[in-house]
Amino acid sequence: MNLIDLQIKKIKRNKQLGLMVHAVVGYPTQEKSEMLIRSLINRKVDFLELQIPFSDPIADGPTIVRASEKALKRGTNTDSVLELIGKLRGDIHIPVIIMAYYNSILSYGLVKFCRKAKKLNISGLIVPDMPPEEEDRERFIQTSFEYGLYPIRVVSPSSSKKRLEINTRYAKGFIYSVSHFGVTGSGVKIGNDLVGYINEVKKTVRLPIAVGFGIEKKEQVEKLNDIADIAVVGSAIIRNYEKGGLNRLKLFIKELKEGTIY
Amino acid sequence: MIFNFKTLYDGDTCGHFGQYGGRFAPKGIFSFQTSYDGDRNGHFGQYGGRFAPEMLIPALEELENVYIRAKKDREFEREFMSYLTGFAGRPTPLTFAANLTRRLGGAKIYLKNEGLNLSGAHKITHCIGQAMLAKRMGKKRLIAETGAGQHGKAVATVAAKFGFECTVYMGERDIERQRPNVFWMQRLGAKVKPVSFGTKTLKDATNAALKDWITNVHDSHYLLGSTVGPHPFPSINRDFQSVVGMEVEEQVKKIEGKLPNYLIACVGGGSNSMGLFYRFLDKKSVRLVGVEAGGRGVSKKGGHAVRFSGGKKGVVEGYKSVFLQDRYGNLSPTHSVSAGLDYPGIGPQLAHLKNEGRVQFTYATDREVLAAFSLLAKTEGIICALESAHAVAFALKLAPTLSKNKIIVVNLSGAGDKDIFIIAEALKDKEWIEFLKGKSHL
Ligand SMILES: Cc1ncc(COP(=O)(O)O)c(C=O)c1O
Repeated sequence: MNLIDLQIKKIKRNKQLGLMVHAVVGYPTQEKSEMLIRSLINRKVDFLELQIPFSDPIADGPTIVRASEKALKRGTNTDSVLELIGKLRGDIHIPVIIMAYYNSILSYGLVKFCRKAKKLNISGLIVPDMPPEEEDRERFIQTSFEYGLYPIRVVSPSSSKKRLEINTRYAKGFIYSVSHFGVTGSGVKIGNDLVGYINEVKKTVRLPIAVGFGIEKKEQVEKLNDIADIAVVGSAIIRNYEKGGLNRLKLFIKELKEGTIY
Repeated sequence: MIFNFKTLYDGDTCGHFGQYGGRFAPKGIFSFQTSYDGDRNGHFGQYGGRFAPEMLIPALEELENVYIRAKKDREFEREFMSYLTGFAGRPTPLTFAANLTRRLGGAKIYLKNEGLNLSGAHKITHCIGQAMLAKRMGKKRLIAETGAGQHGKAVATVAAKFGFECTVYMGERDIERQRPNVFWMQRLGAKVKPVSFGTKTLKDATNAALKDWITNVHDSHYLLGSTVGPHPFPSINRDFQSVVGMEVEEQVKKIEGKLPNYLIACVGGGSNSMGLFYRFLDKKSVRLVGVEAGGRGVSKKGGHAVRFSGGKKGVVEGYKSVFLQDRYGNLSPTHSVSAGLDYPGIGPQLAHLKNEGRVQFTYATDREVLAAFSLLAKTEGIICALESAHAVAFALKLAPTLSKNKIIVVNLSGAGDKDIFIIAEALKDKEWIEFLKGKSHL
């Protein structure tokens, strides 16, 4: 069984909102990135999303763009990312999901990448620029499944009913719902718009819902309790780290965690 | 003598007086097809497609649908043509380069002078077309990326004309290189937003524009400026630009009574080259040559933008094509003396045409380009854009190797006014530098 499913069972049993935290691997340096990720997993978060930095991340806002640039400048690449995950793997007891832009995987070799990811006990892949319409030619979803990786599907408030169906047809684990019209790190109000849209998603697919993009405060996480199953926090982690290093980051995660058992 | 009297302002044989009057005779711009077209999802052989984040796919579908409807609508073509003739200044002339031809002693050289379009380049053509589509979709605002500033200026132009708000993203490096166009975009009412991440050039401006579109997708249209990006942009821009080749075919047949032997165009993303080539793709006697930016030479990593020398297959900015990239798929830095050609990707249909052997590719270095620019100005009286001078540079090599009965058409995609600072610096023009120093006391 995929670790994602086990973890979801666990958070359901505990009647709590899952917390997925995100890090750009190699940011700000390979060594500090390791410490940053370690401090995240020591805070008892539920899912870990690790992003392979890419030169042209079209769905990301300024915070993750800058972090990716920094990581690339320091020589981070797909091999060094996988290496770091390997080094940490023994200490990570939650599902790890790799977020990457498709070209990082394509240039590495889809099969080679999936094989290595499986070896590292990775649970899923989030590839925002790989829509199901290209599956016939790319065989991304199929190959992911062959190696036991869940290709997490992303939906957004602009998705029509038909697109929700297309996107969720092969979905496993959970659905990643982009919270609003915007890129990562741009703040979002948890209000009626979001509730209405998440309800539409729920009508189409019976999988847990993760909500991400612009989640940066405990209050938002608290509100998500009634709406979704997992809260995803990315840019705000980098911003807190930049403001106050690991100490501030620890406090921030602690606060978010409090929000999940609201 | 009453009925023999003629003026320059008379109508044509169908009774058109410029943009007015006449029965509209459709040219079939939007029904024309070739054996190199994409499939339903915009795949050209192994390239193309729509690798966009979910946030944008509905907008791309909307654009595709409105375009499919417009293609079938005769009124759309009529309106498009009337803007081209009555606003943009089409058709642009096909000029016989008599002096250059004599000097080189080989094939006859014709120049398609796209620099005479309103706003100084071919870009206005697809901007008019997309602005019409944006109106049909009820959008209020146009977003664009620009490298040389030519596309941005053309977008700002149609935004003013059609009544859209307008934001243009431009890399900080390009702003420095193409300051005059920034100034004109602002006069046209556009907001020019500097892009400070990545390589600070065209590819990063494209990234920034895509992010704006993701955020404002309900009221904004992304007016992408070349035959690149996710489906349907490569096909839409190609179709709009195909009027260039359509005009060339008419003009060259009228003057020479036959088809040309060579068509030459510079290639950034591919809008001017696909525009020139498209109508000729299935006319196999016409040889098609794309000229990439050789910069400081292809042996210099990061010193050029020759995708077909060192580039490999990839998926970036929403489409699959050939990209200059490192082992791990990150786009490589590029260089060219012209800001409009130093883009690490290339239009997917062009990559396909290269694979099929239908379009040949070559490159011109910065040095060759500056020499070609200067020679063209002095022999033919045309100051062309540095982008276009790449095509001229190859024509200078090709013409002497061909016999005098052969015909070459060179696409002069734009005028060179915008390049005044780069050219003055490259030519180390002392008087101009003194002049700038004097101005700096202002
Ligand atoms: C005058 C001119 N020619 C050519 C180009 C290159 O673009 P494309 O290959 O799409 O024609 C540009 C782009 O900025 C341009 O301004």
